[in-house]
Amino acid sequence: MSIAESSIVPGSGALGVSAEGVARRFGTVHAVEHIDFHAPAGKVTALIGPNGAGKTTLLLMLASLLRPDSGTIRINGLDPLRDSAAARLQIGWMPDTLGVWESLTAREILVQMARFYRLPKAGIVHRVSGLLELVRLDGLADQPARVLSRGQQQRLSLARALIHDPSVLLLDEPASGLDPGSRVELRTLLRRLAGEGKAVVVSSHVLSELDEIADGAVFVSQGRTVKQQTLEEAALQGRRYAITALDNAALTAKLSELGLEYRVEAGRRPSVTLLLTHDDGAAALLGELVRSGVGVVSFAPAAGALEETYMNLDTERP
Amino acid sequence: MSDVTETMPGPAGPQGATGGWNAVVGYLGGIRDLVVLEMKQRLRSRGWYIMVGIWFFVVAMVTWLTWLAWNASMEARRSTIPPSALAPQDGAGSMIFEVVLAFVLLFALLVAPALSANAINGDRAGGTLAILQITLLTPGQILWGKFCAGWLAALAFLATSAPFLVFGMFQGGLTPGHVVVSLLMLAVELAVVCGIGVGISALAGRPLFSIVVTYLVVAALVVGSLISFALGAQLAQGTVLANTPVGRPLSYVPVQPDQQGQPTEAVQPGYTCEGPLVEHSAVRTDRVAWMLALNPYVVVADAIPYPDRSGSAFYSVGMIEGISQGARSALAGPDHTFTCANGVQQPQYLKQSTPLWPLGLGLQVLLTGLLMWLGWRSLRTPASRLANGTRIA
Repeated sequence: MSIAESSIVPGSGALGVSAEGVARRFGTVHAVEHIDFHAPAGKVTALIGPNGAGKTTLLLMLASLLRPDSGTIRINGLDPLRDSAAARLQIGWMPDTLGVWESLTAREILVQMARFYRLPKAGIVHRVSGLLELVRLDGLADQPARVLSRGQQQRLSLARALIHDPSVLLLDEPASGLDPGSRVELRTLLRRLAGEGKAVVVSSHVLSELDEIADGAVFVSQGRTVKQQTLEEAALQGRRYAITALDNAALTAKLSELGLEYRVEAGRRPSVTLLLTHDDGAAALLGELVRSGVGVVSFAPAAGALEETYMNLDTERP
Repeated sequence: MSDVTETMPGPAGPQGATGGWNAVVGYLGGIRDLVVLEMKQRLRSRGWYIMVGIWFFVVAMVTWLTWLAWNASMEARRSTIPPSALAPQDGAGSMIFEVVLAFVLLFALLVAPALSANAINGDRAGGTLAILQITLLTPGQILWGKFCAGWLAALAFLATSAPFLVFGMFQGGLTPGHVVVSLLMLAVELAVVCGIGVGISALAGRPLFSIVVTYLVVAALVVGSLISFALGAQLAQGTVLANTPVGRPLSYVPVQPDQQGQPTEAVQPGYTCEGPLVEHSAVRTDRVAWMLALNPYVVVADAIPYPDRSGSAFYSVGMIEGISQGARSALAGPDHTFTCANGVQQPQYLKQSTPLWPLGLGLQVLLTGLLMWLGWRSLRTPASRLANGTRIA
C-alpha cells in the first residue's frame, strides 16, 4: 500500500495534519483568529462550523495555498511553507468551488493532473481509469466535463484530489450536490481511505452525515477552535430525543409524573423533546411509556451527536 | 475498483533527479503539460475558430481592396501621362505588403490582449487556478505555460495572414527576406503583448479589468508613444552648432532613372556650408526618441530591411521606409539632421547605421518582463497577499 511506500509508520505522533495557533487576516477581516487543529492519520476528522467560521480559509492554509499570518502547520511533519513540493505530494485537496476545465473530458482532466504531479507516465492510464471507476464516472469518462452534473463534477473533483494518492485528504464540503446514493458511496470511500491510513479532513454542514463517517470533530466558530472532541465523547454528553404520541397530553402527563424535564416542540406534529444522557436511559424510558399505555408513535434521537454539540455551541455563543 | 490505491506507484519526487539538466527538462515539461491543457481548451472552443475565420476574411478583403486600388491608380496614371514619361514603380507588391502588414499588426495588437489578458484571473474566477497551484507546478511554470499558450493562439492568427504577405511578395518589389523578417517581428510583438496581458491578468482581480488595462497599455504603446514623443520634443529644446548654408548655383537637371529605376548618379545637396559655427536653437529629438521607439509600428517598420538610398535623389519612399527614416532621424537628433550642423552637409537620407528597433524592442521587453515578474510574485504559494476582492479558491 502506498502509505507504507512513503515510509510513514502509522501511529507516530507527527502523522496527519496539525495546525497550531494559526491565524489569517484578509485586510481587516480576521478570517481565522486562532485555530488549533489536529487530524490524525487513519481517522476521518470533521471540521464543523457555521458559514464564515473560517473553515475554507483553514483548509486553504492546510493545503499550502495560503500563508498563515502566524502559527505553524505540519503535514505529516512537513512544513508546507518551507517544503511545499514535498508537502504537496502528500496533500489531496478538493475545493468547495468545482473548478473544472469544461472543454476537457473527465479522463483528460485526470491525465493532466497526473502529469502536473509528475507521476510516472507508464502508470497514468491505468491509474486514471481506476479512479474513474472508483467515482463511477467511467461511463462519462470521454464526455466534456461541462456536460457533467454538479454531483458528477463533484465526484470528478474527488478523483482529481486522489490522483497522486495523497496521504492527507482535505475535502471542503465534499457531499454538497451529491445524491443520497453518492453520499453513501462517499461515506464508504472515505472510511476506506481512512482505513488505509490516510488522514481525512472533511468540512461540512450536513452534520448527520458526519456522524456516520467522522471519528472526531473540530468545531470552529468566528475563526477560533471552539471544541475538539471524538465521536465517543460526543455520544457521552447525552442526546436530545424526540417523542411523539397519539395522545400528547397523556405523554406529557407521564413525563411529568416521572419527573423528567421536557420541552414541547412547535412542529408539524406535536412532539416533546428531552435530554437523555445515555442509551440505556432511553430504552428504559421507552419501556416505561409503553407499559403505562401511552401510545408512542415515534421515539428517536432528535439530532445526531455532532449536531447536538453544534447546537449547544450555538446557544453558548455570546 | 478497489485496487486503485494499491497499484499506484509512488510519484516521482520533484527533486528525484537533481541533475541540472533533468531539472531543466522537468521545468520545461511542466510548461509543456500546461500548454497542452490550455491549447486543448482553446482549440475546442468554437469562438476561437470564428475569430480566426473573421480575421482571415478581413485580411483577405484588405488585400483585395489594396490590389484594386493600386490597379486603379495605375490606370489613372496611364491615361494622363504618356507611357514614355512614366516612371517605373515598385511593383504592386510593396504597397499591398505595407498595407497588409500595417493591418495585421493592428489586428495583432487588438487580438493578442483578448487571448492573454484573462489567462490567470479567468482561471482564478473559474476556480481552476488553485487546482494548478496545488500541484507541483511552480508559479514560473504556470506563468510561462499561460504565456506560451496565449502566444501560440496569437501566432495562429499570424499564420493565417502570412499568405497575403506572400501574395504581396509575388506581386513584385519584395524578397522572401522581407516576409520572413516582418513575420518574425510581428511574432515578437505578439509575444510582447501576450506577456503584458498575462502579467496584468495575474495582477488584476477581474478579467474584464485586466483586459481593459492591457488594451490601454497597448494603446499607450501605439498612440501614447507618439503623443509623448511630440510633447517631449517640445520640452527638449536645445541648441546645435551650425553655420550657414549657401546656395550653390546648380543647374537643375531632372534625374533620369535608368532601366532598373535607380538614379544614374548620386546627387549632392544644392548648398555648401560656410561661415563661423553659431549656436542655433533646435529640438533635441534624440533625447526623446526612446519614446517613439516604444511604438510597435516603429519597431516592426524599422526592423524590415530596405536598400540604402543615401545619395539617391529619386526614389519612392514606402510607408515602412518612411516610418523607419523618420524614427531614425529623430534618434539621430539635430547633430545629424540640422542643416549644416557642425559645418557639415547633412544628407537628407540617413544611413542604416543606427537602427532604432533594438532600443524599442528592449524597452518593450523590459516592460513585459516587469509585468511578468510582478505577476509571478502574485502567483507564489502559500500566498501572503491576495489581490483585492479575490479568493484563492
